[in-house]
Amino acid sequence: MERRAFLKGTTYCGLALAFGGPLMPLPAFAREGGKVSRGDTPRAWEDFYRKEFLATRGDAQGFAFHCSNCQGNCAWRVFAKDGRVTREEQAAAYPQINPAIPDANPRGCNKGIVHSKQTYQADRVLFPLKRMGRRGEGKWRRVTWQEAVDDIAARVVDTLQKNGLASLLLHCGTGILSQGRRAGPLRLGSLLGAQRLYPASAVGDMFTGASLAYGIATIGHSLDAWFTAKTIVLWGVNAAVTRIPDAHYLNEARYNGARIWCVTPEYNATAKLATDWVPVKPGTDSFLAMSLLHVLFRDQLIDEAFVREQTDLPFLLRLDTGELLRHRDLRDKGKDDVFYCRDEATNSVQPMPGTQGHFKKSLRLGKLKPALAGRWQVKGRDGNPIEVTTVFERARAEAAKFPPSMTREQTGVHPDLVERMARDLAKAEIAIVNIGFSMHKYVSGTMTCWAAALACALTAHAGERGGLDTENNWSLGGIGPLSGPKPARFASGFFSEWENGDMAATMRRHYPDAHLKSALGFDAAGLAALGAQFRKTSNAYFGKPRVALLFADNLLQRNKSEAHYRKAFVESLDLLVNVNHRMDTTALWSDYVLPAKSQYESWDLRGELGYHRFCNITVPPKGLKAIGEAKSEWEICLALAEAISREAKKRGIERIPDPDFLVQSGDKAGPVMRELANLPAEFTDNGALKNDEDVVRWLMKNVPAIAPWTPEDAMKHGFVTVNREAGFNSPLYANRPFHSFENNVYLRQPYPTLSGRQQFYVDHPVYLKTGCPTPTALPPLRPASFPFAFWTPHARHGIHSQWRTNTWLLRLQRGEPHIWLNPLDARGKGIGEGDAVRVFNDVGEFFARAKPMPAVPPGAVVMDHAWEPYQFRHKLGLNNAVAGLISPFELVDGWGHLKFNPNWDGNMLAFESAVDVEKA
Amino acid sequence: MSSRQLAMVIDLNKCIGCQTCTLACKSQWTDRDGREFMYWNHVESKPGKGYPRDWENAGGGWESGAGAAGSGGDKLKPGRLPRLEEDYGIPADFNYDAALFQEGEQPLRPMQPMQWGPNWEEDQGAGEFPNGYFFYLPRLCNHCTKPACLAACPRQAISKREEDGIVLIDPSRCRGYRYCVAACPYKKIYFNPLAGRSEKCIFCYPRVEKGIPQACAYQCVGRARHVSWLDDKAGAAWRLVHEWKVALPLHPEHGTQPNVYYVPPLSTATFDAEGKPTGTPRIPADYLVSLFGPGVQAALDTLRREIARKEKGEASELMDLLIAYRHGDMFRLDRLGSQP
Repeated sequence: MERRAFLKGTTYCGLALAFGGPLMPLPAFAREGGKVSRGDTPRAWEDFYRKEFLATRGDAQGFAFHCSNCQGNCAWRVFAKDGRVTREEQAAAYPQINPAIPDANPRGCNKGIVHSKQTYQADRVLFPLKRMGRRGEGKWRRVTWQEAVDDIAARVVDTLQKNGLASLLLHCGTGILSQGRRAGPLRLGSLLGAQRLYPASAVGDMFTGASLAYGIATIGHSLDAWFTAKTIVLWGVNAAVTRIPDAHYLNEARYNGARIWCVTPEYNATAKLATDWVPVKPGTDSFLAMSLLHVLFRDQLIDEAFVREQTDLPFLLRLDTGELLRHRDLRDKGKDDVFYCRDEATNSVQPMPGTQGHFKKSLRLGKLKPALAGRWQVKGRDGNPIEVTTVFERARAEAAKFPPSMTREQTGVHPDLVERMARDLAKAEIAIVNIGFSMHKYVSGTMTCWAAALACALTAHAGERGGLDTENNWSLGGIGPLSGPKPARFASGFFSEWENGDMAATMRRHYPDAHLKSALGFDAAGLAALGAQFRKTSNAYFGKPRVALLFADNLLQRNKSEAHYRKAFVESLDLLVNVNHRMDTTALWSDYVLPAKSQYESWDLRGELGYHRFCNITVPPKGLKAIGEAKSEWEICLALAEAISREAKKRGIERIPDPDFLVQSGDKAGPVMRELANLPAEFTDNGALKNDEDVVRWLMKNVPAIAPWTPEDAMKHGFVTVNREAGFNSPLYANRPFHSFENNVYLRQPYPTLSGRQQFYVDHPVYLKTGCPTPTALPPLRPASFPFAFWTPHARHGIHSQWRTNTWLLRLQRGEPHIWLNPLDARGKGIGEGDAVRVFNDVGEFFARAKPMPAVPPGAVVMDHAWEPYQFRHKLGLNNAVAGLISPFELVDGWGHLKFNPNWDGNMLAFESAVDVEKA
Repeated sequence: MSSRQLAMVIDLNKCIGCQTCTLACKSQWTDRDGREFMYWNHVESKPGKGYPRDWENAGGGWESGAGAAGSGGDKLKPGRLPRLEEDYGIPADFNYDAALFQEGEQPLRPMQPMQWGPNWEEDQGAGEFPNGYFFYLPRLCNHCTKPACLAACPRQAISKREEDGIVLIDPSRCRGYRYCVAACPYKKIYFNPLAGRSEKCIFCYPRVEKGIPQACAYQCVGRARHVSWLDDKAGAAWRLVHEWKVALPLHPEHGTQPNVYYVPPLSTATFDAEGKPTGTPRIPADYLVSLFGPGVQAALDTLRREIARKEKGEASELMDLLIAYRHGDMFRLDRLGSQP
């Protein structure tokens, strides 16, 4: 019987009568315990389950991973029978790299393991759908692929013609992170010169604190390094929930004698596995970080040799202006990017090698012995003396303001914990400080992360000694010709969302101007002025799109002040097309929904994720039957390219020149040509790249970090191992965990920062004005107008909104969204277990149910994030009560290494809103 | 007693509550044919009522079975049959079509109201902030040495396999009387309303017979589960249960002599009124004793002592065993494993 038929209607409920009630044992049958029953009789009936097992094993096998928005990247075997996926099981075949370090098997999680169900779930988009009623009304008509792509192409060409090339947004969101499936939309967008958002910024996952320090946002370790560490700090990262495939290394490290510090306001699954839990009050982490620095400076737990060479702490700064002392301060027409130290060997001021403007591109100090502390006078270019001190002095003075006995008031953390944590960090041969994606959801997150980086620098944790970890990524290289054959319009992620969604309006509503001004140094108008300045100085592309083709990007679920954002974004568009394997919230509001293949159905490859060194492959099981009319992203892009070409030819357009980008040809420069008529040939590289399999084969042939492996090698176990070249600031050794910055620490190569070093002083006017040129603490921005802090940690039962609506996972929850409340708060509000509640503020409201949790601190509404808005009453989700907010620290551009690029872009700040809650 | 016993040790310190085991079992066995509501393997948060709801107060097991090592009596205790909706939870379907492809504001919801489930109390636990606590308890059939279910079956449909001690229900003999359901003190036997008979965890014998470990164990992402023959002195089960005595059966007082063992959970210290760590683990010792018997304190002491060795840079065989450097080494299914 079909499961659905069996469960339909009241059948199952009727069967409930067969359950329940007391039952006395029948003494007559109660035989002697433990007697082996009928052990010697034939047991043919045992074949019953053996046959079932074989059926799940199927008649065909493929490989896959599940990288929808996930950084796990795990090789799975996929079984199919009669053309239908039956089950998946981890390949569990990764080799152990070193006998003293546990292997990486069996990587996977609760989301990957239900994908065989998700594949055929009733929210699957099976056919191209065209909106019939108003946007979001839910009236759809099934159309043919031909009809869909022809109409879309006509409107794309129309907007390119009328509104210019920049009016098209062709964005591949983080719903696809793999090199294979991402290639199609990236390539098509690049050929057309479309806008694209920088994805990590659009979703609020930038580590700007790390970018300040290192010029790189994502640095760190392969996570097997956890096992080798003696001190691990998990700061705003709930690894037991969000790093499920690697969390075993934490437990194994604990058994190996590591101290594991978990810093988080709620007692979560990671606090449960830690040796020490630091219950910091929400949003006060920067005070905790400063108190750690206080202890390190106070007790001189400082590796001076490391600090002198690897950081900007010996750099001189002017006491009058607070700016770093530069060449231009000493000489007319002097350079802007040459900096100085006070050399103790010669008692003179000397330029530091290795800075962006210094001719010596090495951190080697030679005979220099830069002083860390002191005050001196140097002669300025006008002959007048300039008072100077060091960054070290300034940073130390800042930390001196935050003794643990005082920060306790903000953080609620007992000074004993801070003292012990600082000493654990300093004394460990290898210490790793993981910064989670929660941290930069607060304005102060930039400072907390920067301060944590300074703590690692003072204690010389870099290279093999560990250090900060904001998630390591490999540098695969070689992909450019595939995914970026022509220049695209790169837009800032967070700032585009800010403007496209008119988010300033909800910020102004939620945060009183005086409050913003006192907390940040900028009121709404001040932030708007910074934004205008940002638009001027940044080389990012700015401008509202008119036509949006979205691949795997659930931006209507993700964005804050949900209803407000949606109205602003959707209403400004002439056409919104969503390419998706399932009906997500963004699909609901689209004009067209095009059915994409999902994880098991197209060829794919993923290797850039640096938690481990394995590059996984997806190869569908042989004979897998098509699901509806789903196509791979590559095939969809090709169909669009062909339709655009047809439409352009119909209108007599061969190509559109794009003077925003110049291409050099001999000694002449001309505009890049956006070839419309010839688009299919360009897209397929003249027929060489017809489908997703061609793309994977191209990648394996052309990406140097994957050499020498072939697709046939990958198809043996579902993966290959990336080579030494994959590490971009350290080599990736075959038998050791990866650690960032070995090239800097051991080979003395400069860091990609203005100072060429780990940088802890930024004299950009915004940083000087806010009193934050060096790491410091900022209070939470949450306004007092509503009593509860509201934050939404990453969910266990979803990767953002992916799998969030999965039947099997919802059955392991309570079927619908719940907020978590401290039981005392719940009682105070008359809210009981499972009660319907309304969460609200001056931005908006949403309805959910309540789950009292002793793990949650008083004064907090906590909720696992990324429920689809359509899982809530009125289809309004949790972001409806989150105000828009951006940070002045992230609106800075055009200073040293703080220039728009994948390592410098900002975040939408998600955890600073205040709410109230009541029984609904 | 069977001549040999395959045993499982679940390390509660390594369990991260991810439910991958639950779903590995589900897709291997219980996503079909009237088993949809069953979780032969599930993970519940403790303390709590668990799954099925309040199973610890639902009777079953052997009378006067509170003796050492659970050497129970020979009389079965009465038990209660869990209810489908209130105690197991209905395997709800969802209104995808109405919520996503039709007009209107109807949210995505279970089509039958959910009242309970296998993970209903996820991360709730007990205590008061900041001293709240919880831990994860994965549960499956214990394949007991003295199975109460087997004794209770009026059809003699339940057997314990001679060769590996796996307890099975013969589907051709079972008539669905459910005495086994009541008799199991762990409530790990389920009545299949569609088939009209009872079913339960089969320790994945079709996998094990092919040398593939149980789905819940092999697919455990936290690497928390060891499987070996209980008499294999090189195997984790013998070493952890008998040599190191850090793996203990759940509720030994029921006298069924389980063959699934647990390494009890360590926990961070509570805070005093000043917010200073006290040094006392936040999971109360008496609660752990109530679950795992009086041996739990010694087991925790052993774990702490051996971890301290590693902290000092000394060797610890126990820790190396629990760390498990190679996933494959956690499973010793080879029937040639050394005999006592």
